[in-house]
Amino acid sequence: MADKVKIEGVTKSGVSRRQFMGTTAKAVAAGTVVAGFPYISTGNEPLRTIGLGVSIINDIQAQASKDLGFEVRGQALGYGAMFGKMLNQNDQYDIAEGYYNDFDVFIPAKVWHPTDTKRVKEWDSISDLSKTGRLTPDSNPGDGDAPFRKLWINESGDLVDGPSRYVSAVPTWHNADTLGYNPEETGGKLESWASLFDDKFRGRVALLNVPQIGVMDAAMGAEAGGLIKFKDKGDMTRQEIDVLIDFLIQKKRDGHFRAFWETFGQSVNLMVSGEVAVESMWSPAVTAIRSEGVPCIYADLKEGYRGWHGGLSISNKVSGKRLDQAYEYINWWLDGWAGAFVARQGYYMSQTDNVKKHLSPEEWDYWYMGKPAAKELMDPFGNPLVPKGEVRDGGSYWDRFKKIAVWNSLMKENDYLVKRWTEFLTA
Amino acid sequence: MEEREVSLHRGLIGAQPEPAANGQRVNRQASREGGFSTGWLIAPSVAWMLLFLVIPLISIFVFSFWTSTGYGLEPGFNLQNYGDYFVSKGFFDPESRRFLSPSVFIKTLGTTFRFTFEVMLLCLLIGYPIAYFLAMRVKSFKWQMALFLLCMVPFWTSYLIRAVAWLPMLGRRGLLNSMLLALDIIDKPTRVLLYSEFGYTTALVQIYIVLCVGPIFFSLAKIDADIIEAAKDMGATAFQIFREIIFPLSLPGVAIGMIFIFVMLMGEFATAVVVYGGKTSTVGTVILNYYAIANYPFAAVNAIMLMLAMMAGVIIILRLVNIRKEL
Repeated sequence: MADKVKIEGVTKSGVSRRQFMGTTAKAVAAGTVVAGFPYISTGNEPLRTIGLGVSIINDIQAQASKDLGFEVRGQALGYGAMFGKMLNQNDQYDIAEGYYNDFDVFIPAKVWHPTDTKRVKEWDSISDLSKTGRLTPDSNPGDGDAPFRKLWINESGDLVDGPSRYVSAVPTWHNADTLGYNPEETGGKLESWASLFDDKFRGRVALLNVPQIGVMDAAMGAEAGGLIKFKDKGDMTRQEIDVLIDFLIQKKRDGHFRAFWETFGQSVNLMVSGEVAVESMWSPAVTAIRSEGVPCIYADLKEGYRGWHGGLSISNKVSGKRLDQAYEYINWWLDGWAGAFVARQGYYMSQTDNVKKHLSPEEWDYWYMGKPAAKELMDPFGNPLVPKGEVRDGGSYWDRFKKIAVWNSLMKENDYLVKRWTEFLTA
Repeated sequence: MEEREVSLHRGLIGAQPEPAANGQRVNRQASREGGFSTGWLIAPSVAWMLLFLVIPLISIFVFSFWTSTGYGLEPGFNLQNYGDYFVSKGFFDPESRRFLSPSVFIKTLGTTFRFTFEVMLLCLLIGYPIAYFLAMRVKSFKWQMALFLLCMVPFWTSYLIRAVAWLPMLGRRGLLNSMLLALDIIDKPTRVLLYSEFGYTTALVQIYIVLCVGPIFFSLAKIDADIIEAAKDMGATAFQIFREIIFPLSLPGVAIGMIFIFVMLMGEFATAVVVYGGKTSTVGTVILNYYAIANYPFAAVNAIMLMLAMMAGVIIILRLVNIRKEL
């Protein structure tokens, strides 16, 4: 692993460092699979953790190994593969770095160990965002699978109305997503999600092609445009889905959508190459687009944001010494180093005090407080990322997270949604 | 006998070996030489196929009758999945007053079929002349090989790169648009090139055409030059020669090429995402979507339907051309 980091250090132009890291992580992950097969138990097997590229980054697990004194081995997977492995092969990992919007599946499947909050050192200092849904007293908890709705379980793993001693996952990194746009192309500031369906942008709009998330962005746009009022955007009825999808099909036939993107890189390319003016976007994409010299704003829209939240769970196949290590890894995540690492990519942590200790004052002011960068800031791999004077769109962490309109969710009508979404794409 | 030796066509593939005068004797000789019996020789591949093809196929079939509970699978014999596959809104849709509206999955299969045939036809129309030129017009073996390798060059890069490479070609600020703008043919960038059926078909043809150029080239190169010579001597026109001799003899290559392209295209999903901007769904993307939400039974139903469609297609192609006989 040390070798990999060293190679990393000398890589310059060409592939961006983050992409390279991704590749390295995958290579390491592949190595893990191959090496894992004939492994003979010595009592010193590494702690195996799986998740998306958001939290499984070589540097993070390497630092954890160093700090904890035992090896932590990460495997970054694509979404479908992660979901399938977490659900069906819980003997193949020790830690699941999952997302609360999938917990309607994972909690009843009972694939995880009920995490005992008494063993989580920083439990009390984890913010109320994930415990009560209100980061500040005046916050809006938002529709859908907010972490506080999927957090509390009893000792046997059933979902309960919290608070309780046991949780499904320890809340960690999270973010608030919104529309991204090129102000030169839109000819001004966007104020509302309704812009997503504004005829002005016909043929210059892209949407995320993940049915469960794309439909949320579409719902925000349709509701803001006055087409439909949802009772609960996080759990739509069939009728609501029908109205929305029929509207989307009409829009698609009118040539409103330029493309539907599936990967982070695609969303960046669409805007950099000038194909789209407005699109649903993930936060780090904004920085990636700007670094190509293309102006891009992560819209602060009056209807609010679409939030998502990750967490750490332990497989219920884990016991004994390994279980202790699993708790140590969770505690390590809350200790600040990892939180600072993901902060430099634009993600927030559930425990902010420790993150602050690991960020420079300038970094803290920019990433969390929404103030102009007092000096040039680096990404987690040491590359220049934010030029001096730049301000993060949307204000401070607290400003953003009191305005979550809806959380990424798995609806009861998910099968119906996927079917209608397929119809939308085929139309 | 000696004259016959000389007149044997020494094409690219070389002359076919003369069938043994007495097959039985050859066989006996082989077994007398010792070594493994036929059963042992095919055992590894049979084991491989059983383990990695037959068993997975059977399990896909079995899964397709199970029920997805959202967080797991319930074994059983449930035909609901197949019902959902075929009929979308019940037997009578009161709103549109239609019976049995075909489901989106049937429509997707239909779209996939349509694109596949379009691309197969284009590949044949463009690929055949290329193969013909290589095999019939280029006389030197060296040049034949060199040009054929040139055709193969795109295959040396990854499949995804070949698809992605179309973006800077066809994009709004792409090469083609810049050219058209510079030539004053259009006054603002056209959007029909990329993320459109045009762009999708173009990319698919470019990506898969080698799969048909190769086999057609080989079957054309195998045609005995003497036959063509004889036809010419007897006064056949160039078109007659093509229609009566060259085309029928090249059919096995055409069929093999078409089968390759057909099978690849039916399972296609990545190009639709990259070059068509995900604006259509193929059976492949539907399977992927249901796999991603862990509804394995329904993904399995789609996979089985795709497999049946593929089998039907291959059988039709094989019916049209009897490869065994022609070879």
